[in-house]
Amino acid sequence: MQTERVVNPEEKIPHIPKAVFLFRSCTGSLEYPGTESAVRETLKIFGINSVMNADQTCCSGYLLTCSVHKPEVSLAATARNLAIVEKTGLDTYTFCNGCYGYLSELSHILLYHSKYLAMANELIGRWGYRYEGRTTIYHIQEMWYRLKERIAAGVMRPLKGLRVAAHYGCHYLSRQYGIFDDGGYPTFHEELIESLGGTPVFYKERQLCCGYSVGRGFTHKEVLVQPHLHKKFKSAAEAGVQLMTTVCPGCNVALDREQPNLNKRYGETFNIPVIDLAQVIALALGVPISKLGFDANTVALDHILKILDYDKGI
Amino acid sequence: MQKRGLKSLPREKDKDLKENLYKNVDVYRLVDNLERCMQCGKCVGFCPVASLSPSYNSRQIIGDVLNGQQERWLKSEEIWRCFWCAGCYTLCPVDIHFPLLIMQIRYRAIENKYGLKYVAPFKRFAIAAWQDGLTFVPASTKGRDRIRKIRTNIGLPPWPEVSQKAREEYKAIFDLTGARAFVEAIDENDVKHLDLAYKEGRVTFANRKSG
Repeated sequence: MQTERVVNPEEKIPHIPKAVFLFRSCTGSLEYPGTESAVRETLKIFGINSVMNADQTCCSGYLLTCSVHKPEVSLAATARNLAIVEKTGLDTYTFCNGCYGYLSELSHILLYHSKYLAMANELIGRWGYRYEGRTTIYHIQEMWYRLKERIAAGVMRPLKGLRVAAHYGCHYLSRQYGIFDDGGYPTFHEELIESLGGTPVFYKERQLCCGYSVGRGFTHKEVLVQPHLHKKFKSAAEAGVQLMTTVCPGCNVALDREQPNLNKRYGETFNIPVIDLAQVIALALGVPISKLGFDANTVALDHILKILDYDKGI
Repeated sequence: MQKRGLKSLPREKDKDLKENLYKNVDVYRLVDNLERCMQCGKCVGFCPVASLSPSYNSRQIIGDVLNGQQERWLKSEEIWRCFWCAGCYTLCPVDIHFPLLIMQIRYRAIENKYGLKYVAPFKRFAIAAWQDGLTFVPASTKGRDRIRKIRTNIGLPPWPEVSQKAREEYKAIFDLTGARAFVEAIDENDVKHLDLAYKEGRVTFANRKSG
């Protein structure tokens, strides 16, 4: 069992693989398809083939934590999805903190409670699947950090000192063991942003979560989520944040879609576009803007692209 | 101390302290180390929800679960407030996975018909997920067309490729685990009002006359 809390990228990913299994994220492929595209384009630049499989379903974790179905469903769905990955012999790379958190936690439960593994394997066995725990689950941000030097060397469109704030999202940092940085105050995204030519901004409420997970964006929007996000954006705006990055399309929904509502409710003028870290990396590495799907965003990026002189659509 | 407060909210007694009471809540055995809780309250200090809504108190909820004081949390509004950011788990000195406890606390509440209004909004998403093999697919044609357009423009297949086999097996998992019956039994009309139950020990100045 992994017992070290913070590990080195070279320890966790000793060799850069030729191919990875890219685990489709519902939100990252529907709400913000630019995330999926940016991840695939960036992997392509580094010669990594991203394998996807149409038999994979949703990780099922979000609705589980909304209490609308039972853990048995998610244990079986996780075992089934990971059994599909294991047939390819590849490791699993997710581009959503939700998928990462749920797959890690649920596979941990499966592998350490033999009765749950037996239950799940019996259930999915009828279709010929069997989960054995051979695939390792990574978040794609780990690959970006592992490739940091190659990314820095490949920058074609530097961020020109743009003031970028990183939003890490909870379900990567909340892993107790085997993550890349201190869960309480991580800085590895800032290192990446710096290497792309941006200015990382540390603002007071940087560690506040997006507030949307487990469905509270539906059930407690007025009473909790909006005051919570107002606090976060007020602090970010005061620190002069121009762009915010996430590594979780779910956080992206909360931080992007809620801004007009916050402006209306609190009389603010927040205008901070929120995009995925992979989109910023792809942008700096020269992936055409037409492949990054920025038109899915509520808070438009036009003024940012103008600052960076990318508005010509190259 | 006000007598009224003592009467309405009895504190736990020594005789209530029995081992393994929490197993009535942790039926999936996912938080086996709960009895190691020192009631230190680090979780509360870090909690973003507690900072906005002081009566939400993970330490008190754990205390009640350990003491078998089911009545208070079961009927409380607070247990539905957790964002599941898991910051409490990150910094818990004894590694208690509070989110996995709150998940099961919510199941116990649902079993007793409390808090259904916080679950009912997701019923239609769960049912839709069986058809799509994906979560949060927009219900409207307009919404779906928007996604198709964006995906096509950036050179992705117009719709995430989810096979018929995947959809059928995903749905069958719901049927075979009894989750389908669980989802369908959620009564969207049963929207009972819940009160904040954790007001104990807090000084409020709401009723104090100024001057």
